[in-house]
Amino acid sequence: MKKFLTSVAGAAIMMAALGSSVAKADDIIVGFATAASGFMQAYDKPAQDAAMIRIDEINKAGGLLGKQIKTVAADTKTDRAEGAKAGLEVLDKGADLVIVSCDYDFGAPAALAAEAAGKISFFLCAESIKAGIQGVGPRSFSGSVLAAVQGATMAEWAYNKKKARNFYRLLDTWTEYNKGICDGFDWMMPKLKDAKLVGQDTFKNEDTSIAAQITRIKSLPQQPDAIMLCSMMPGVVSAIKQIRAAGIKSMIINGSGVSGGYWINAIPDLSDFYVPDQGSVYGDDPNPAVNEFNKKYKAFTGSDPSSQYVYPGYVGIEVWAKAVERAKTTDADAVVKELEKMKDEKTLFGPRTFTDKIHHQNRGRYLITEIKNGKPGVVDEWTISEAIPVEYLTKK
Amino acid sequence: MTQRSSLFMRTLSTPVILILILACFLAVATVVNSGPFNQVVIDVLVKVTLVVGLYVFIGNSGVISFGHIGFTCLGAYATAWLTIPPLMKKMALPGLPDFILATKLPFGIAIILGGLFAALFALVVGKILMRLSGIAASIATFAMLAVINTVYSNWERVTGATSSVVGIPIVRVVWPYFLAAAAVIFIAHLHTISRSGLALRAARDEAIAASASGVDIGRERLIAFVISAFITGLGGALSAHSVGVVTPDTFYLNLTFICLSMLVVGGMNSLSGAVMGVVVLSVIIQILRQFEKGVDFGGIILAIPNGVQEITIGIIMVVILIVRPSGLTRNIEFVWRGSPIKSVSATEP
Repeated sequence: MKKFLTSVAGAAIMMAALGSSVAKADDIIVGFATAASGFMQAYDKPAQDAAMIRIDEINKAGGLLGKQIKTVAADTKTDRAEGAKAGLEVLDKGADLVIVSCDYDFGAPAALAAEAAGKISFFLCAESIKAGIQGVGPRSFSGSVLAAVQGATMAEWAYNKKKARNFYRLLDTWTEYNKGICDGFDWMMPKLKDAKLVGQDTFKNEDTSIAAQITRIKSLPQQPDAIMLCSMMPGVVSAIKQIRAAGIKSMIINGSGVSGGYWINAIPDLSDFYVPDQGSVYGDDPNPAVNEFNKKYKAFTGSDPSSQYVYPGYVGIEVWAKAVERAKTTDADAVVKELEKMKDEKTLFGPRTFTDKIHHQNRGRYLITEIKNGKPGVVDEWTISEAIPVEYLTKK
Repeated sequence: MTQRSSLFMRTLSTPVILILILACFLAVATVVNSGPFNQVVIDVLVKVTLVVGLYVFIGNSGVISFGHIGFTCLGAYATAWLTIPPLMKKMALPGLPDFILATKLPFGIAIILGGLFAALFALVVGKILMRLSGIAASIATFAMLAVINTVYSNWERVTGATSSVVGIPIVRVVWPYFLAAAAVIFIAHLHTISRSGLALRAARDEAIAASASGVDIGRERLIAFVISAFITGLGGALSAHSVGVVTPDTFYLNLTFICLSMLVVGGMNSLSGAVMGVVVLSVIIQILRQFEKGVDFGGIILAIPNGVQEITIGIIMVVILIVRPSGLTRNIEFVWRGSPIKSVSATEP
């Protein structure tokens, strides 16, 4: 029995020893509590690579406040409990800034840990209003643009440029992000004169068949001009395939969750499909600096950027580093003050504004990507005519 | 009377040994004093609580309940309702009754109320479920889990539906979890050596003979069901406080399979098996995870690819069950002195 107890104690000590490390006091440390496995890796890894490119650029240009930026990482395994542990781990290693997963639901545990420790957290590319003050705390930010802006942008663009008047709203209830897209769509609809919502429905991302929802669309007296599809990977691809396979030819407008060309092989002849992108990963961005960045990304990681979600990772580090330079310290509260002063701050991928009411973007310029015969390409750009009010977003 | 206290004293060594094993973890955590390692130990202690809860019902009654994790969901959300600051609650969960919206209870009271809430639910549901036997009972418990998950995933005004519920006070120190695990080990042990526990195990081994001897099988099962629901609900509440965020999906199939695996690998019919299953598998998982991150052996970093941990733990579980089909502890309880007492008439399959 004594031998047994000692072996248990030994095993426990081994568990602890294998994982410990020491933090040095005078480095600037950026901690990545993101998913290196599980499905969130598809979103987190590209954005994290872009963030690393920015950190690399800063270090090569002399560092931040004269010091080199070091990075530490912990895998959240796309699991909430593991996310909490990952957040604690990078904090334990001395992180001054905690970068968390691309989705509010999966990044919140690590962000809450950072908030409790008095550190700033940046969601890599989360697009729910909760990814910030409202769902974490006053030191939390997101590098991306709100999902609601995507829904509103697509509705307004389809109305103005494609003369769409009858809309159908199809919501995937799985995440805050999906609901956010449709919230923006709901906000924009009353502002579009003569636009009508001819029907709406919901499904779950994990449903293998949305036959019931499709039947209801097909039994409408008149096919809608546009279907607003508020969904994301992985279930959205199957949903799109089923919609087209059922013979529904209406244009499909989406959030940025379907950005990227990596999934189009599943639906090779897809047409009349529109996606909002903060920048183009297809090499045809109107801003040459973005195409330059894409080349740098390919050199750094070995492959082209997979989706527009690469870009907010870069922007997050960009604005945080600028705020640190202006505050002349990495102290969280001072940096937060500098971030909240930013109004239309120029970044490589569009302007960023933060206030003490919202640490996210409720307005943004989007490129409109069309998929025609299975080939994606930028066709237009659009900025919504007014910013979505914070009160509307928080009431939802 | 003398005989009764003698049984308790005779078997007291079992829970004490198990608690000492957990105390090793507490001791190491206190010495290491690191946030992430604390979280790992907390995770182990919460799983111990859950799996002990599973053992109280599954081990004693022989009915494999696939639905017990439903009680964790009930306990977790109950503690969320009681501990989230009222201002946040009003915004996020407006459908709650006023007296809950206005309260903010301390952590210790809230988790116990969470367990009691789950136990109350078990009492109502169990009155019907415990009349079933064998596979029908197992599937019925699974149906219960599915109902709980569906209701919680859709009742937006009361549970936030599939949205993450935040604001639960996070408790990052290890000793409350250790106390809870120790307490439930004692409760489980007391139930096991009690008259009700013995009658239930008799019904498990020979239902007809037990019934003929006057055992009310439904009643004994219900008692075990309610006690195990309290323990599992308590574990769920603790889990909520260790992460600070709850969603219905966290308390569904993944957690069910993990906890059942730990129980079966450890030894389904013994309390020691429940605890050892969690301890052994958790240690192996943690060591594998460290290797996934990369371990520094004086300059050489050894690392295994991400995701290999899940595959390896599956293989290890299969190997353990091949070598020891009735689990690691072979259904023998740990005792301090003398020959091991077979706590139950454990029949080797």
